[in-house]
Amino acid sequence: MPLLSRFSSLMRNLFHKARVERDLSDEVRSYVEMLTEEKIKAGMNPEEARRAAIMELGGVEQVKEQIREVKMGAFLESLLQDLRFGLRSMRRSPGLTAVALLSLALGIGANTAIFSLMNAVMLRQLPVKEPGRLVLFGKGTWGGNTDSLPDGSWQLFSFPFYREVQQKNQVFSGVTAILSIAMDVHGTIGGNGNIEPMNAQLVSGTYFSVLGLRPMLGRAFTKADDEAPGGHPIAVVSYDWWKQRFGRDPSIVGKKVTIGSTVYTIIGVTPPEFFGTTVDHSTNLWIPISMEKQVSPGWNGLEDKHFQSNYILARLKPGVSIQQADANVNLLFKQALHEFAGPQPTKKQLQDIARARIDLTPAATGLSHIRFQFSKPLEVLMAVVGLVLLIACANIANLLLARATTRHREIAVRQALGAGRMRLIRQLLTESLLLALAGGALGVALASLASRLLLIMVSTGPQPLPLNVSPDARVLAFTFVLTLMTAVLFGTAPALHATRIELVSSLKERGATSARARSPLGKVLIVSQVGLSLVLLAGSGLFLRSLVNLSRVDTGFDKQNVLEFHVDEASVGYKEDARVANLYRQIEQRVAAQPGIRADSFSFFTFNQGEWTGPVSIQGQVKSIPKDVVKNVVGSGYFQAMEIPLLVGRRFGPQDLANSQKVAVINQTMARTFFPNESPIGRRFGDDPEHANAIEVVGVVKDAKFQSLEEKPHAALYIPYSQHIQYLNDFEVRYSGDAHAIIAEVRRAIGEVDGNLPVSGVTTLAAEVDDSIVNQRLVAQLSTFFGLLAVFLACIGIYGLMSYAVTRRTNEIGIRMALGAGRSSVQWLVMREVFLLVGIGLAVGVPAALAGGRLVSTMLFGLTAADPFSLVAAVTLLLAAALLAGYLPARRASRVDPMEALRYE
Amino acid sequence: MPPRQTNLLQGTLDLLILKTLGLDQMHGLGISRRIEQITRGTFQVKPGSLFPALHRMEEAGWLASSWGESENNRRAKYYRLTKAGQRQLAAETKQWERISLAIGRALEATS
Repeated sequence: MPLLSRFSSLMRNLFHKARVERDLSDEVRSYVEMLTEEKIKAGMNPEEARRAAIMELGGVEQVKEQIREVKMGAFLESLLQDLRFGLRSMRRSPGLTAVALLSLALGIGANTAIFSLMNAVMLRQLPVKEPGRLVLFGKGTWGGNTDSLPDGSWQLFSFPFYREVQQKNQVFSGVTAILSIAMDVHGTIGGNGNIEPMNAQLVSGTYFSVLGLRPMLGRAFTKADDEAPGGHPIAVVSYDWWKQRFGRDPSIVGKKVTIGSTVYTIIGVTPPEFFGTTVDHSTNLWIPISMEKQVSPGWNGLEDKHFQSNYILARLKPGVSIQQADANVNLLFKQALHEFAGPQPTKKQLQDIARARIDLTPAATGLSHIRFQFSKPLEVLMAVVGLVLLIACANIANLLLARATTRHREIAVRQALGAGRMRLIRQLLTESLLLALAGGALGVALASLASRLLLIMVSTGPQPLPLNVSPDARVLAFTFVLTLMTAVLFGTAPALHATRIELVSSLKERGATSARARSPLGKVLIVSQVGLSLVLLAGSGLFLRSLVNLSRVDTGFDKQNVLEFHVDEASVGYKEDARVANLYRQIEQRVAAQPGIRADSFSFFTFNQGEWTGPVSIQGQVKSIPKDVVKNVVGSGYFQAMEIPLLVGRRFGPQDLANSQKVAVINQTMARTFFPNESPIGRRFGDDPEHANAIEVVGVVKDAKFQSLEEKPHAALYIPYSQHIQYLNDFEVRYSGDAHAIIAEVRRAIGEVDGNLPVSGVTTLAAEVDDSIVNQRLVAQLSTFFGLLAVFLACIGIYGLMSYAVTRRTNEIGIRMALGAGRSSVQWLVMREVFLLVGIGLAVGVPAALAGGRLVSTMLFGLTAADPFSLVAAVTLLLAAALLAGYLPARRASRVDPMEALRYE
Repeated sequence: MPPRQTNLLQGTLDLLILKTLGLDQMHGLGISRRIEQITRGTFQVKPGSLFPALHRMEEAGWLASSWGESENNRRAKYYRLTKAGQRQLAAETKQWERISLAIGRALEATS
């Protein structure tokens, strides 16, 4: 039988390569020896005979190579044959192929899409020289502190500390400081007067040399470019911005950009693949950090030892490990902190210094704003889509199993004709592989759409995050391996099963039915599908309920009907002085006079925009050590604009002037913590014990959330900007009526006060609140989608298995009915099995769901992992869907016409 | 050595090998000499064509091989016809007869 021998020789060729080679050499050598012998007999001398024999052969290696080619051809031919056969059998059962392809495309597509996002956020390395040798000081999380020394592990560092490290370290070949606050500035390009938004990143002169980045045009910064504060008005622009804004102008070097009152000269363009060191943020231009004061007047980051605002990125010297670097850096750090604290540090300072440390982390993947926020959700979603794919595999395995039964006779005939079991298994696996590859290709196509959709879902602003989610080699490799794995997963069991045949009984069978015992494998698959679906469904229930709990959290303010405007006063030359406070007051008054405006105010923060914390010392509380509270700087209309209710005392008013008594409004928690048994009104406090009488409490307001909906109540205080002048970028407007009309009206009113003041980033407070729970929403929505998809797939599985069972038992059902069995008892016959399978599935699924819930318990809000409501809801939904899927075939069974059924075979 | 008279037609070598092995198992050199002998020197099969053909036919399942002792007590690989090989020989013989008859008639008609 050709197939058999071809297959066994293939196996020989593949698995016993060495033996085949030896065989080949032996055969050719024995030929040469016999030929030589023949020639010796004919009268040649042995030497001559041997040479003649080899010449006649035409070279030993050449002959061997020709033989190998023939064998390879045979292998390819049999592979092609399998592929042709596979395609034919896919065409023969289009329904099965369509269902299998659809579930594979969804399963593989979802996995690829989530992995693409994970890759972009967590795995992709920066396109720089040897990214593996880059380390970050700290973990790159948010949070800085300008007032005092923070606790424990530091994330952001002052510029003077950067200088210390740069000069004194022994472990880095280069160190760079990156200002953690990306500057959304406004400026003008060239001579024309149009002010436009641009994103600037302030970096030390060593930035490009540490990254090992060569500019595409012009030159990059050098170490000498941040020596003199304010003395380096130069900029390097990104390739993307050069393309979009300058139309790839080849003479860009030397062009001018004006920001504030400084004119910067463009000196170079970065290479196309480089978007900056922060992966989810695109930078338009880099400016030396020595220009910090010019870009953001009032900031004193270059000299202030306590202005911890920079990321520090460094490149390890060759041969230096991250542990060695860690030891060296922390030594320098302690020295620097002692130095910064001065000759007589307080006890608190010494405590802080003792605790302070820097954790060096590998920075090959760069910085990311969303990495910390989305790592865990993405891992959870990866697990979810992995389970969905498993369920899809179980489904396809079940379908193939059912089809294998209908192909039973075909397989029996082929075996009778001599096809080996291995050969047939290989054929069936080739079919599975074809199916998987086609599904995988569809999945990749689906994923490129889905990952873009995902990107929009995780992006909070009007524009999707500038993340590159297009599939790279890593994503494609992931998908390919995944596809192969699915083929093995869903193909192996049916192939083994289908080829385990007792020839005689199979060949004797007539028609499509099988005499084999009902397949236990199919049932195991259904049970596991039900179990896995329950895990997913219960999990999505937990996430959904968390989301609902979050959306019901009392924020302390009314998020509806508030617009937020972002103004950039620094870019048009305002300094942090009385003039800027006057600007705020004028805008507030002018806007408040417009129709439809109920209240308005400038403020430092509203919600989820960052946080300013600092210590307070209460007058008269002798023992009180300074405690950190959250601080906000606001206008007098702030509490009305946000609708934060006043509980006692008064709000800020026109009487609170720069030179009058300094006042503050505190929140409930602060009143309760600092003034437990007394009225806080009239009490005084200050930033430190020496000034504990500086500020008087004039009012108490209800607690409001600052950073997130999950946060516990903080002690917080508000101070009026009239007494604490600084830039306040946020302007809140509470309105009634049509938001679009109001936006135009407010813009016009601001323009009337100062026509040059750039106003951008109009958003609503409600959107700001919604954006703060974007990852919870993402997980809840996607896990619900995939949970329902899993249930749907499981139902297809149940429906398929039961329909098949009913078809197979038509004859039996006919007999039962002919003997007087009623419809309901026939239905029960089928439903009993459905109940049993689903029951076992649920029994397995409930503990698994509880265990799964515990894994994600940190992501839940307002409920525990063992939330009974989610579990009961999941069980009910799954049960209902499964019973419906089982009921359809059961009803069909009960409508069998006994006469027809008896004739059916 | 007589000059080579005829190029082997595509497929002819297979038929000759099958025919040669029709009676008994043989090793490579034996097959080559036997073909020379039965065609009276018309076809000389070089090892460069013989071995690939033998291996190809073995892959196709027409031949089976095993190691054995040659007439001079040398270790040699012997080939024999399988059942599939016998069927192939019958089929190819029939086809060859048809073709040669057809070609013969065609040549007669034109001459």
